[in-house]
Amino acid sequence: MISLTDFLVVSAVLFCIGLYMVVSKHNAIQILIGIELMLNAAILNLVAFGKYDLFNNAGQMFALFAIVLAAATTAVALAIILNVYRQYKTIDPGKVDQLKD
Amino acid sequence: MKDFLNAIDTLTIHFTLAAVLMPLLAFIINISFPTKWNKVSGWVSTIAILTSAVLSAFVFAKVWNSHEVHQSQLWFTIGDTKVQAGILLNNLSVLMLLLVNLIALPVHIYSTAYMKDDESYNRYFAYLSFFCFSMLALVVADNLVLFYIFWELVGFSSYLLIGFWYKRHKAIVANKKAFIMNRIGDMGLLIAIIILFAQYHTFDIAQLFADKGLIFQSIIKNGVWTAPSAHLPAIWQYLACGGIFLGVAAKSAQFPLHTWLPDAMEGPTSISALIHAATMVAAGVFLLGRVYPMFNDAELTILAVIGCFTAFMAATIALTQNDLKRILAYSTISQLGFMIMAMGIGAYASSLFHLVTHAFFKCLLFLVAGIVIHQMAHIRDDNGLDIDPQNIQNMGGLRKKLPFTFAAALVGALALAALPLTSGFLSKDGILVQAFAWTENRNVVLRLVPIFAVLTSWLTVFYIARVIVKVFFGELRVAQLSPGLKIDVSDGGLLYKVPLFLLAACCFFPLFSLNPFSYDASWVYKGFPGISDDTGFAIVLPGVINIGGLLIIYFSYAIYTGKRANPFPQQGALFNLACNEWYFDDIYNKIIVKPLVILSRATFWFDRRVIDGFVSVLARAGIALSKLSSWFDRHIIDGFLNLLVAIVRGIGNFARRFQGGKVQYYLFSMLVVILILFILKTLV
Repeated sequence: MISLTDFLVVSAVLFCIGLYMVVSKHNAIQILIGIELMLNAAILNLVAFGKYDLFNNAGQMFALFAIVLAAATTAVALAIILNVYRQYKTIDPGKVDQLKD
Repeated sequence: MKDFLNAIDTLTIHFTLAAVLMPLLAFIINISFPTKWNKVSGWVSTIAILTSAVLSAFVFAKVWNSHEVHQSQLWFTIGDTKVQAGILLNNLSVLMLLLVNLIALPVHIYSTAYMKDDESYNRYFAYLSFFCFSMLALVVADNLVLFYIFWELVGFSSYLLIGFWYKRHKAIVANKKAFIMNRIGDMGLLIAIIILFAQYHTFDIAQLFADKGLIFQSIIKNGVWTAPSAHLPAIWQYLACGGIFLGVAAKSAQFPLHTWLPDAMEGPTSISALIHAATMVAAGVFLLGRVYPMFNDAELTILAVIGCFTAFMAATIALTQNDLKRILAYSTISQLGFMIMAMGIGAYASSLFHLVTHAFFKCLLFLVAGIVIHQMAHIRDDNGLDIDPQNIQNMGGLRKKLPFTFAAALVGALALAALPLTSGFLSKDGILVQAFAWTENRNVVLRLVPIFAVLTSWLTVFYIARVIVKVFFGELRVAQLSPGLKIDVSDGGLLYKVPLFLLAACCFFPLFSLNPFSYDASWVYKGFPGISDDTGFAIVLPGVINIGGLLIIYFSYAIYTGKRANPFPQQGALFNLACNEWYFDDIYNKIIVKPLVILSRATFWFDRRVIDGFVSVLARAGIALSKLSSWFDRHIIDGFLNLLVAIVRGIGNFARRFQGGKVQYYLFSMLVVILILFILKTLV
């Protein structure tokens, strides 16, 4: 029997991996991947806690919305990365420190 | 009528002022012109002095034997004392005014030729004009303060001129000596002026020394000197007279302050002529003439004795000297001694008469000496010899080479020797006759005074005859020593001849008296109050003196042309005494100069070691103290501030890291902060 705790542990590990990637990677794509990992950790939590609401399945529903929204934000993020690359000829966020005009 | 007379007087005063200021104008022009206008400056000065001479002749004609002209205006006020400055013209001052100009004019003309090769021609004439200005102003000043100012200026400008060739060490030493000697006299005069002011509360010469003036009204009784408005102990009167005597002795080179005059020969010869004839040394006699009523009988006797001693001493020194100018210098001292002695015996008029006649013949002799020295220097330079051009032992036989100069020198020498038909005869016999008249009813010691005066006048004849014979007769001794010399000398042009001619003309009797044998027929003598002499001396004495004089002239001619062996030993105590100028310089050096130098060295040492040492200890303490405070400042105060700065910088650097523009860093910081918050929340 897979307990809630196991889900939460996996989720936490996923989140930490994502957080680590976001903080440490030098490539915007990898950072984006990190963000996706963290998002998925959150969605995993939503689904895992969804077992306490078997009638409305609100957790499942919310996870679906989140996945869709995540896809949308990812698209937007990729577009930004593309523009950033066009502007700076790099996608290392450490080197893109000129957000002013 | 009175207004008209006043207007004439004012005109006279204006003329006098112009006469005095012309040389000053020349001085100003000469010092302001650049040096390339060099040759003009001589004529500027000469024209100025010519104008001045013409004006003073006019003034002389107006004032001489007429009334006294005195005008003044308020100069300054101190407390209640109003000091007037103005011009006082009486017989004495107009005579001096004219005399100074008449002597200065030939000297100026002569100088334009004599100094023409000098590089400082411009400066020479500037100084010369300034000298004349000081002297002219001195003789017309009506006020003792003004008098003192010009008295100092005369001393100062003679200092400039004696040291004119300031690159020669001897000239510098000589002018320093002259100046310091004169300062002693100046102090005396200043003290006398202050005492007179304390007693009479006025500086005005006319009020003080007039016929019925303040001095006349004051008496000394029981040790108290009583004036119309005040009285002082009698000692102050003696001090004032002593001070004036010091002033006279310094300016007129009388014993004991005479030693500067022979050294003053280091200046250009034309300057010596001016100093010795009319300007510098005459100032002393002039001062005596101005303040004459001050002296009482005892003080006059002292004057007479000192004058006689100076005359005799200087004449003996002149016998043994070999430097042409030095002999003439001692001759001047001797003749000034005669003038002072004449003042002392009450022969006021004769003294001033001798001053005037002496001015002409002494100026003439000096100008002649200048030509002779120039020509000897020519011979030296042409032949590359190493001789002193002023040494009469090198000269001789110049009468054929310089006939005009010889004639002029002969006239001057005869006048100095006081032979009949010359002006010197008139004035000197006046003095001698009155000296004999004076000794009647006096004690034996004072009877020596006229005897020494006669001796001195014979000595004068001898030394001047020696000079003339050695310089102009016989053969040129330089040429005998080293044969085959190229000798190319001449009298010089008109600029030399005209002044000599003018002065020589003034050395004869007609200018002064129509009767060549009677001094009291002379107009200069009559212009001043004199003593009448009804004694028999006037007839016998001149005859005796002049017969003696003629014998001496023949005698010295015979000796120095070699016709007869020299009977005088050239060594021995007396010869050494005269040759070393009576050891005055040695004595002064030993007694005054040396201790003074030692004292100065000691005070210098004290100043250098003790006072400067103390100051430098203070300075070192100051430096140490400031080093300490500098260390404190650097390490403690600056250290504290630096620490503050370091803290702020550390905080700043730390805080800056969060604002690096790096997105991940922001994220990381945020994470850390949240974590810390959570940890704190768990702990608390």
